[in-house]
Amino acid sequence: MGLEIKLTVNGNTHTAELEPSTALVDFLRDTLGYKGVKLCCNTGECGACTIIMDGKPVNSCVVLGADAAGADLVTVEGIADGDELHPVQQAFIDTGAVQCGYCTPGFIVSLKALLDRTKSPTAEDVEEAISGNICRCTGYTKIFDAVDLAAKRMS
Amino acid sequence: MDYFEPKTVSEALSLLDQHGDQAEVIAGGTDVMVDIKYSDEPGCLVNIKRIPDLNAIRESNGGVHIGPLATIHELEESDLVRERLPLLWQAAHQFASLQIRNTATIGGNICRASPSGETLAPLLVLEAQAEVTFSDGARTEPFGAFFQGPGQTSLGSRGLLTGISVPFPAAGSHAVYLKHAVRGPMDIAMVGVAVMATANGDKTALDDVRIGLGAVAPTPVRAPKTEALVSGKALDAALVKEAGASAASESSPITDQRSSGEYRGWIVDALTRRGLEQCWQALTGKEVA
Repeated sequence: MGLEIKLTVNGNTHTAELEPSTALVDFLRDTLGYKGVKLCCNTGECGACTIIMDGKPVNSCVVLGADAAGADLVTVEGIADGDELHPVQQAFIDTGAVQCGYCTPGFIVSLKALLDRTKSPTAEDVEEAISGNICRCTGYTKIFDAVDLAAKRMS
Repeated sequence: MDYFEPKTVSEALSLLDQHGDQAEVIAGGTDVMVDIKYSDEPGCLVNIKRIPDLNAIRESNGGVHIGPLATIHELEESDLVRERLPLLWQAAHQFASLQIRNTATIGGNICRASPSGETLAPLLVLEAQAEVTFSDGARTEPFGAFFQGPGQTSLGSRGLLTGISVPFPAAGSHAVYLKHAVRGPMDIAMVGVAVMATANGDKTALDDVRIGLGAVAPTPVRAPKTEALVSGKALDAALVKEAGASAASESSPITDQRSSGEYRGWIVDALTRRGLEQCWQALTGKEVA
């Protein structure tokens, strides 16, 4: 049984069919082609699939695709301004916060959501914001540096 | 798999009557989505997320009414919860990641009835009531009766949790929720202990001590013998020690991949002592002698 839903992703309106048991991450990647949303643990623990749904960061692997009907979603593909990267993206490059890169889209989206909420986050705010994102390469230090740099550039 | 998005509670209840054990209710989805992927897909999915007015958090009859679809982050953001139900706020704040808190609902945490569910021991200690609704009527019952076993509640396969009523704790009470897990809030608790108490008039003894234990019995439980042991007394080092051992003896923890049962017993002991000491200090301004 296919279910037709209409939603907005990165400002683009989509209407598409999905099976009702489909997770949002699979719908975004396989049906709509937003491959920047990464699939990793598939149980809501690692944060690689983080997207912003109606203003809030969520793990798209444990959200029912059907719940995105009428929703406004932002993925990592949608946060640059044309050719100009979002300050968080640019800061990740400038500080070397990317190593293997698989977790990076989830971190970028979580941190963009943080900087949307607060302009000058404390170290505790950053820890809280990325407590659901796992990185096995960097040891996180460079990621903290990147947020600081992005926050400075944005202020 | 059949899929339904009922728009009212009565529509949802008639779907549950019709599909019985085949139906699985989904709200936030943070547990059910994992089941769908890694266990058997249910015969039918009843998504209650779009039923209006089930996510309110408001003051009502000397307490707080919480709609089951309120997310854990909505509880955390609520001034009413933070100021009037600090015990529940602490549990919400130590609940997994922000992404999960933005999705998971308190009703889902409750109806999942996992002994380690973060909000459950606090709800027992706060003496909250569940509003359970069936197609032939609604009733309220204490959470002590609601939780019947791991994953089992008085809802059975045909009921819905339609509200949570939490009375305001007594004025001047103090409460702490202590969670022990390897990765902090991200992890499922090996043990969770909720302690709430008031002080007597001249602040020389604890009154109305309540202790809730999570993840150490088939359901979240209170520790009534320990509560009685401590209530009405001044807390000293000997009593703290006795209370910790008593709470451990009231738990019946299992061994699983997160912890051995023996270790869980030690943690119940330690967190109960710590919780009582913190309450004593906050209520009397004195260290435990």
